Formats: sequence, structure tokens, C-alpha cells
Amino acid sequence: MGSNNSNLEVKGLTISRNEQILLEDIDLAFKAGTISHLIGENGAGKTSLMRALAGLLSLDSGEVFWNSLKSNHPEANFSKVLLFLAHNLAMKHELSIAENLQFYSALRGKRASTSDIQQVATELHIESLLDRNFAELSAGQQHKVSLCRLKLEQTKLWILDEPFVNLDAQTRDWLSQQLMSFANNGGVVIFTSHQAIEGLKIHQRVSLSHQQEVSA
Amino acid sequence: MFATLLKRELMLARRNWVGILIPLFFFVMVVSLFPFAVSPEAEFLQQIAAGVVWVAALLSVLLSLDMFYRSDYQDGSLEQLLIMASPTQVALSKVTAHWLVTGLPLVLMSPVLAGLMHLNYSPDANVATSHTAVMMLSLLLGTPTMCLLGAIGMSLSLAASRNGMLVAVMILPLYVPILIFGSAVITASLTNSGYNAQLAILGAILLFALVLTPFAAGRALKVAVS
Repeated sequence: MGSNNSNLEVKGLTISRNEQILLEDIDLAFKAGTISHLIGENGAGKTSLMRALAGLLSLDSGEVFWNSLKSNHPEANFSKVLLFLAHNLAMKHELSIAENLQFYSALRGKRASTSDIQQVATELHIESLLDRNFAELSAGQQHKVSLCRLKLEQTKLWILDEPFVNLDAQTRDWLSQQLMSFANNGGVVIFTSHQAIEGLKIHQRVSLSHQQEVSA
Repeated sequence: MFATLLKRELMLARRNWVGILIPLFFFVMVVSLFPFAVSPEAEFLQQIAAGVVWVAALLSVLLSLDMFYRSDYQDGSLEQLLIMASPTQVALSKVTAHWLVTGLPLVLMSPVLAGLMHLNYSPDANVATSHTAVMMLSLLLGTPTMCLLGAIGMSLSLAASRNGMLVAVMILPLYVPILIFGSAVITASLTNSGYNAQLAILGAILLFALVLTPFAAGRALKVAVS
């Protein structure tokens, strides 16, 4: 992960929702080793922008580039490098925590070993719950499970929608540490949060409002 | 990657085994209503057996579609799958799992219902007939096609509404050719005429669907999450 060729770029991005233009003609760059904080009131289009970056939303115009290749170009390998954590945790209630995590890492091509999962779970204090079904956990614990994916999957770009919400102080610190060490290793982090996060070094703030402005 | 996806679908299906059994019970119950409702006479039941079994199988497949697509859509897993795997593979893994846990059991259960419908009845008790085997063969070729076509309908309707009836209305017309040739196979067998042509057409429809529908369903899944 030490290589520096991780750059996400957006050129001329326009997205609309229900016939209404949400974001118009946006140019953004997210460089390797940086943490970017998307700011904007509810409905400003933060989630839509993230989903557009992740390739889930169809764009009205514009392109998303990963290392100067279009993100949907097969050689960009975008699906391999991207980890997108959305509001919904995308975990199956019928499966155990370990099974859920193993599936996602297996889909990346490298199935997480039990000891790896054990290790992350211990850091997040959910190690005793690994064999429980996801449905049996509390909301906060469920959120922690989805955060385990950050350490179990080898990726280069994290797009995180409100990752700090519902977390206790200890886990917030853990998550800040993860973001910073990931960025230090050349990763790109983009996240949203309504609160300021103490102790997290942010390299770029992107403010989304009806008149678009970007401050570095 | 396909193996990983398929394994997950099968694992989820195993955990939801009640949901898997319901369409199968539905199939058995619908068919077993006919002797009560119409007539218990063997000759008469044999005449309608082909249509009854096929219509029941078709409705049963429709009934089971929802669980393979809806929950992934609702809990966000579908987005994750589409980010990490190609849409075509996602669709194909769902179809394969869907057929293995609902289509295949229908085929295996059908001889019991054939017995109930006196499909093998022959006025001359000394003549053994193979109608049941022919029916199983027709279902074996027909049910995968129904799963494949259902995948498109289900994927298209995911975002549209929570109403499962929409899928039924969209997809049932597409099932008509399968129904026609499927029951024609059995009818041909009953009249002791050749049924290879009908079987071949069922097979051809299956191959055609196998090539095109995973792609179409994958695109539809992609549209559903956007």
C-alpha cells in the first residue's frame, strides 16, 4: 500500500436527483495520503457525491478518474481499491459477524483469517461476539462490525458516510487512528461528519452548499 | 468470485430454510387441491395434470423470487456486491442459488404430484408409462428459465415499489412460452406422440435466456441501486 499512485479526481461532475440539480460542474481532487472531510447541511448532496464517486449513481455529466484512468475502466481496478461504507451497514442479519466479514474479504480475493478477524474485533471490544448472528447485536456494536472491514480488506480508497456517528469516544479515537495511519500509508480517505473530530488531522475540507466552494 | 457469491447466497438460503420450504409447500398444496375441486377420477386428472403442475410450478417460482433480491436491496448489501463484483456475476449467482434451492426441489417433488394427478395412469394396467419422467425432464429445462426471467423482473421492480405483485404482472407474460412448451411436452407424451421437439425448444429457450438474462438483470440491479 506504500505506493503513491492513488489519486481520485472528479471533473465537471453534475448530479441531479428527482429532476433537480444537486451538484453542478464540480472539479475535485483527492490525493494519495490525504483525508478529506465533506461538509454540508442535510440534503446538500454529500451522500450523493459519495455514491457518485463510488460509481453507484449515474452521473448527468462529468467523469471520475482513478489514477488518471476513468474509474469504470477495467484497468483502473477501481472495484478492488474502493471501500465504501454507507449508512446502511450491508451486513446480513442471518450470518454471524465472522461470516459477514469473511464474505467481504473473500470477495476482495483474500479471505480474512480467523486470527485477523479476532485481532480487529479485540481492538473494538467485540471479540466475544464473533460467533453471534449480526441481528443479535446492538446498533453500536453493529456499526463496529462494519468498521472492522477497514482493517480486513486491502484497499486504497475509503469513502465513509458518517463513520463517526453513534460511536463511543474510545471507538472514535480508534477510527481516527485508522484514518490517519491509512492516509500515512498512501491511502485516500473521504468522509462526512457533522461534528468536528478531535485529534483527526484533516488535509482538505470540501464544502457542499448550493453555491459550491472548495477550500483546501 | 462467482463461487464466493454463490456460497453466500446458499448460506443465506440455508439460514432462511423456512422461506425456502414455503414455495415448495405452496406447489404441493395447489396441485393437491385439484383432485378435491375437480374430480378424483384418474382419467380426468391425467388430462389436466400437465397444465396444473406447470402453472403451480410457475407460481411457486414467482413466490420465491422476492427473498433472493429484496433483503440485499434493503440492507445495502446489494450496493456492496455491485461495487466489488460485476453486476452480471451478482445476478447469475442469485439466479443459480434461486434455482438450486427452489427450482430443483420442485423438479424432485413433482413425481409425488404426478402420482396424485394419476399422470402415469393407463387403462391397460400392464402397460408401464414414462409420463412422469418426461414431466420431470420438462420441469428440469423450464424452471431455470423461469428463474432467469424472474431475475430481470425482480431487479427492475426493486426500486419501484414494495409490491410483489408488480413482478408477477411483468413476468407472467414472459413465462407463457415456457408454459406452452412445457405442458406441450407432457401432453405429447400422453398422446404417445414425439415430444423431442418441444423439449428441444424448451432447451433452446433456456440457453438463450442463460446467455442474455444475467447481463440484463445485472444492469437492472445497477439501475435499482442508483
